[in-house]
Amino acid sequence: MKQKSWDIHLEEMMEAGVHFGHQARKWNPKMTSYIFTERKGIHILNLTQTARFLSEACDLLANAASGGKQFLIVGTKYQAADLVASAATRARCHYVNKKWLGGMLTNWSTIETRLQRFRDLEDKENMGLLNQLPKKEAANLKRQLAQLRKNLGGIKYMTSLPDIVIIIDQQKEFTAIQECITLGIPTICLVDTDCNPDLTDIPIPANDDARASIRWILNKLTSAIREGRYNSMEIK
Amino acid sequence: MEIAAAAMATRSVAVSTGVSGEGCRRSTLGGGAAATVLLGMKNSRLSGVKLASTTGGAIIAGGVSRVQCRAAAVATPRVKDNLLAEAEQRWERALETPLEGVQFTYEEFADALSKYDFSFEIGDTVKGIVFKTDYNGALIDIGAKAPAYLPLSEACIYKLKNVEEMGLVAGVEEEFSIIRDDDDNGRMILSLKKLQYDFSWERCRQLQVDDVVIRGKALSANRGGVVVEVEGLRGFVPFSQISARQNPEEVVDKELPLKFLEVDEERTRLVLSNRKAVAENHVAFGIGSVVVGTVQTVKPYGAFIDIGGVSGLLHISQISHDRLTTVETVLSPGDKLKVMILSQDKERGRISLSTKKLEPTPGDMLRNPALVYEKADEMAKTFRQRVAQAEAAARAEELRLQQEGGLGLRGNFGSTAEALGLNELDLADIPPAVQV
Repeated sequence: MKQKSWDIHLEEMMEAGVHFGHQARKWNPKMTSYIFTERKGIHILNLTQTARFLSEACDLLANAASGGKQFLIVGTKYQAADLVASAATRARCHYVNKKWLGGMLTNWSTIETRLQRFRDLEDKENMGLLNQLPKKEAANLKRQLAQLRKNLGGIKYMTSLPDIVIIIDQQKEFTAIQECITLGIPTICLVDTDCNPDLTDIPIPANDDARASIRWILNKLTSAIREGRYNSMEIK
Repeated sequence: MEIAAAAMATRSVAVSTGVSGEGCRRSTLGGGAAATVLLGMKNSRLSGVKLASTTGGAIIAGGVSRVQCRAAAVATPRVKDNLLAEAEQRWERALETPLEGVQFTYEEFADALSKYDFSFEIGDTVKGIVFKTDYNGALIDIGAKAPAYLPLSEACIYKLKNVEEMGLVAGVEEEFSIIRDDDDNGRMILSLKKLQYDFSWERCRQLQVDDVVIRGKALSANRGGVVVEVEGLRGFVPFSQISARQNPEEVVDKELPLKFLEVDEERTRLVLSNRKAVAENHVAFGIGSVVVGTVQTVKPYGAFIDIGGVSGLLHISQISHDRLTTVETVLSPGDKLKVMILSQDKERGRISLSTKKLEPTPGDMLRNPALVYEKADEMAKTFRQRVAQAEAAARAEELRLQQEGGLGLRGNFGSTAEALGLNELDLADIPPAVQV
C-alpha cells in the first residue's frame, strides 16, 4: 500500500525541535516506548519512531484523499492557531482553531443549524440587507456573524462528519478526541510525552509546543493530502 | 436521525465500558468478542455497536424491535469502518516494522542529538519572534522547546497598558534577555527592561560627553537633594546643585533643565546638576559689572557667592584692602552683597568676584559693609572709568609706538631714560638720604 517515501529528514526534524518532550516529571508512563532518553530534565522522543508513524499517517491521508474523503484539523493552542488555519486552507481541509465547541461532531445536527444560520447571515451581509435594518438590529446581527465566523469559520463548508481528524495537542483537545472515539472516526494525533498514545489511532510522537515543530508536521501531513488529491485527479 | 440513533447507541456502550477500562480502547463485555480478539484491543466499536443493538433497545423504551432493526441496519457505517480498519492496520505495521522506510538510523539520531541541543541560560540575549500578544504580555518563539513569555511588567521601563505600545505585534522580531528559566511547561520568562537599561546608560554617557542640557522631571525630594527621572533612569540632584532661585521643595513634579555630573553604571550612580544647566544662560556678564549676590558657602580661602544662578568665587584677598584672616568674620551664608565681576571663565563656568574695588575707603568691608553696599555702584563706575582711561592710554601708547616704528627707526626705541620718564622727574625736592 505504500506509494512513495515521504521526505522525512533527520536534520529538518531536529532543527524544528520535534524531538523535545515535556519536563521529565510531567510524563505519561504509557509513552515509554516512544521516549529515547532524558536530558537536562526533559524527555527526548525517538525520532525514528516519529518518522515511521509519520510516514504511515501520510500514506493513510494520501489514500483517503484520493478516495475523496474529508479531513478536519483541530488545533486551538496559541502557538498552533494560525498555523492550523493556513495549513488547512492550503490543503483545502476543514479546521477548528478557536475553541472546540462541545458536541461539534456528536451533536452535528445542531451545528448544522448554526452553519445554516451562518450562511444566511453571510448572504444577507453580502447583499447589503443588514444596512437597511435599524442600527441596533444590524449591530446584533453583525455581532452574531462575527461570533459565528470566529468559532465555525473553519468548518463553514463541512456538510457531514469528516472522515479523518488530525489533532494537534491531545491534552488540550481532549473533548475532540473523545467525540471522535465515540463516533468511530479515525484520528491522527501529535502526542507529546505527557499524552496517552492509546487514545488515538495513529499517534505521532512529536513536540506539540514549539511552533516550528507543529508547522513542520502539518506541512508533511497537508502535502500528503494534496498528493492524494492530485493523484485522484490524475486518475480521473 | 439514523446517525443520531447509532451515536446514541454507541454512546451508551461507551458510558458503560468507560467505567470499566481507563483510557484504553473499549473492550467489550461479551458478544462480538471474537471480532475484537481478531483485531487486538482495537476496533471494539464494531462489536460494541452490535452489542448495543440489544442494550440500546432496552434503553429506548417502546418499539424495541424497530430500534433494533434500525440500529443493526446502520450499525456499521461502511466507509468509516474501512478507514478505521486501515488506520488500525497501519498502526500495527508501524509498531512491528519500526525502521521500514525511515531514512536515517537510530545511531544517526543518537549522534545528532548533541548537535541540536539548545541551552539558554539566565542572562542570555536571544532573538525571538512575537506570535501572540494578550492583555498581560506577549508570547515569543525563541526556538526552544516551548515559546517564551514576556510579561507586561518586564516589557518596558515606563509603565505600559499593553505590549503593543512597545511595538510588539505578531510577527515582530526583536532581541530579548532571559530572566527566568524554564517553569513547569518549559516556558522561559523574558525581559526587555535589562536591554533598555543598558541603552539608557549608554545614552546618558553620550549626553555627558556632549555636555547637553536635557529636561527631567523631579519625582521626589529627600534629605540631601531631589530625585529626578531622566531617560527612564532615576538620577539625583543634590540641593547644592539646584539653581538657588527655586526652592527645592517647590521643584517636585516640575521639569528642570539638567546637565550630567556623574554617570557611573557599575555603582548605578547618576548625578545631575540644575545649576550647571542654568549657568549656560548667564554667560553674558560683563567684566566690571556689579551684581547683587547671596553668599552660598564660606570656605577658608574665600566665599562662594551665588549671582543670578551661577556661583562665583570671592577670594579672601579680594574682599577688602585690609588683610583678613578668616572669612567668617565678614561674611556668613545668606548675606546679601554687591560684588563686581573681575573675570569670567566660560569654559569651566567660573567667575571671579571682588568687593575690594568697591570700597570707598580701604577697609570698609570690615568696618561698614552697609556703606560698601550703598557705594558699590559709585565705586564701580569710578573703577570702570579708571579702567577705560587706562585702556585708552594704553591704546594711545601703542599707536604712538607704531607711528615711530613706521618711520623706520628700527633700532631706536628712544632712550631708556625717556621711556622711564626720567626727564620729567623733578629731583629737586628730595631730601638727602643721609644727614650730613
